[in-house]
Amino acid sequence: MRTYHLVLLTGFGIFSLISLFYLIRVVKEGRRSDPSQPEGRVLPAVVYALTASMSPLRKETAYLHVPTYTAGLLFHVGTFLGFGWLAIHLFQLRIGPFLTTGSAFLLMVSAVCGLSILIKRIVTPEMRILSNPDDYASNLLVTGFQALSALTLLRSDLIPVLFIYGGVLFLYIPASKLRHTIYFFTSRIHLGIFYGRRGIWPPGARR
Amino acid sequence: MSVVKRMTPDRQRALNLLKERLDGRLRSHLNSCVRCGLCGESCHYYLTKADPRYLPGYKVDQIAGVFRRYYTLIGRLFPRWVGARDFDEETIEEMVDVIYGACTMCGRCSLHCSIGVDIVYLIRTARSMLAEIDLVPPGLQSTVDAAVETGNNMAIPREELVDTLQWIEEDLQLDLEDENASIPLDRKGARVLYTLNPREPKFFPLSISAAGKIFHVAGEDWNISTHVYDVTNYAYYSGCETTAAELTRRLYDEAVKLEAEVLLLSECGHGFRSIRWEGPQWINRPYPFEVRSVIEQIADYIRSGRIRLDPALNQQPVTLHDPCNLVREGGVFESQRFVLNNSVQNFIEMTPNREDSYCCGGGGGQLSMSRYRERRIEAGKLKADQIRETGAKIVATPCHNCIDQIMELNLVYKLGIQVKTVAELAADALVRTEKS
Repeated sequence: MRTYHLVLLTGFGIFSLISLFYLIRVVKEGRRSDPSQPEGRVLPAVVYALTASMSPLRKETAYLHVPTYTAGLLFHVGTFLGFGWLAIHLFQLRIGPFLTTGSAFLLMVSAVCGLSILIKRIVTPEMRILSNPDDYASNLLVTGFQALSALTLLRSDLIPVLFIYGGVLFLYIPASKLRHTIYFFTSRIHLGIFYGRRGIWPPGARR
Repeated sequence: MSVVKRMTPDRQRALNLLKERLDGRLRSHLNSCVRCGLCGESCHYYLTKADPRYLPGYKVDQIAGVFRRYYTLIGRLFPRWVGARDFDEETIEEMVDVIYGACTMCGRCSLHCSIGVDIVYLIRTARSMLAEIDLVPPGLQSTVDAAVETGNNMAIPREELVDTLQWIEEDLQLDLEDENASIPLDRKGARVLYTLNPREPKFFPLSISAAGKIFHVAGEDWNISTHVYDVTNYAYYSGCETTAAELTRRLYDEAVKLEAEVLLLSECGHGFRSIRWEGPQWINRPYPFEVRSVIEQIADYIRSGRIRLDPALNQQPVTLHDPCNLVREGGVFESQRFVLNNSVQNFIEMTPNREDSYCCGGGGGQLSMSRYRERRIEAGKLKADQIRETGAKIVATPCHNCIDQIMELNLVYKLGIQVKTVAELAADALVRTEKS
């Protein structure tokens, strides 16, 4: 095992432990007991909260902002694809040229999407007011990760650099806004519970 | 690296409150906002005046920034990097202005948030922190105080209420040509205990009369308590949960004392939300009675044939404004539509409607905070435009706060409309049969 392997694995290990801690804490803390008589069912609402409620057919922030929504979606796909390739490189799995080239293309597209979101944050006055240094840094770090992942698929000698970069990224996630990796899911679950008990979600169950 | 400054005792109380409330739900929502800024179009304040301070994400960051500063490691060490802010005078001043003065807690932003942050929940928590240090705007606080001290938010003396209800009863008997028509008061064992918005006896007796007429024709076993009847709970808006619980407990005790099977809420958005959904959490116990909105009850009377309505008796075009706390946050979507479709000949939906409906601007306690009146009217322009587009002559809305706001919008934006409750339109369409 080389140093760059260690950096990646250490980063990933710390990220996993902290993320697990975050998750366990949120589950353990739970939510305030609600003795009100429920009007709807929670489970279908939570499923809806994690699926259809986010579609551009339902969510205003999606259908009013199709370019940003699409860029955001691709950006996230690229991130997870990048993580997938980290694992592939780490375990030295053999992947065909079609998937490799396709992934490189998709990663480059997602990096461009990340860059476009970053530019939007920089040039839009409202966004600048809303933003703090971490918002820019988080975007830049993830965009860079995607671009580097793409390059690595074309030049394998960059793998050590990607591993070190990945390790740093993993370390940064729990400390920054990137921790929404975990809290995104718990927020949507809580929102689903809230709307589900009241019979608001899913829309078909309304009175 | 920055050192957390020592807090004054009152500010420390507010921070302690935040810590006490920190469960999995609150922690999730406080940690989730990615400041994407896409929430602007969901907020009627931002849509009518593109001030970045009105972005829901900006409002969220007021409390989330304080949370990061005191309750996250990175916020303690590098506050500037992550936008963590001290809970100092500047922060508090901004919080009061945008948390109380630029939000009606309508929940439209929560529903559409790209992440799923329950923004209303965070605003409520922020208001609770500010209430803890006595920073509730005076108009809102005096409304809460009136409810606590006199039993109703308009400080109506009991004798005045009884006089008004007796006068309405006499009027009802004349209207229905039935001397048995009555407004039963303080009657133990009646199936239904009906609550009122104090604005009804004070300014809108017709809406009590309408409900009385419907109950009488439906043969309902009902009554009103002259001791505890206020459906509103402005402590929900001020953020003081202790007071909100106290007001809920009074209604709970009265319903139990009068052995009511149903606590029926008059048309009030936040009253419905407070009593139906938040109340059991505030007093930490389930109700031994059912809680319903009067419009759900009227819809049931129609479905079961206990009342008959003739839409031809309401010829003018009618549109419906969905009160946020009853619909998007309360779950009552179709009952009001069912009642109106049976009560009026020409019912026109606003666009958008139901959960996507825009707030009229009257919620969040805005009507009692005169210092923000200009903003409230400006933010209401969106609703005024929506109303105008329908071409309706009557706006029905099952909420007295919405009624007050839309009446004011009517004057300011010269809409030329009438504003009515759903029960009033249903009562106007009532058909008397031999049986009734």
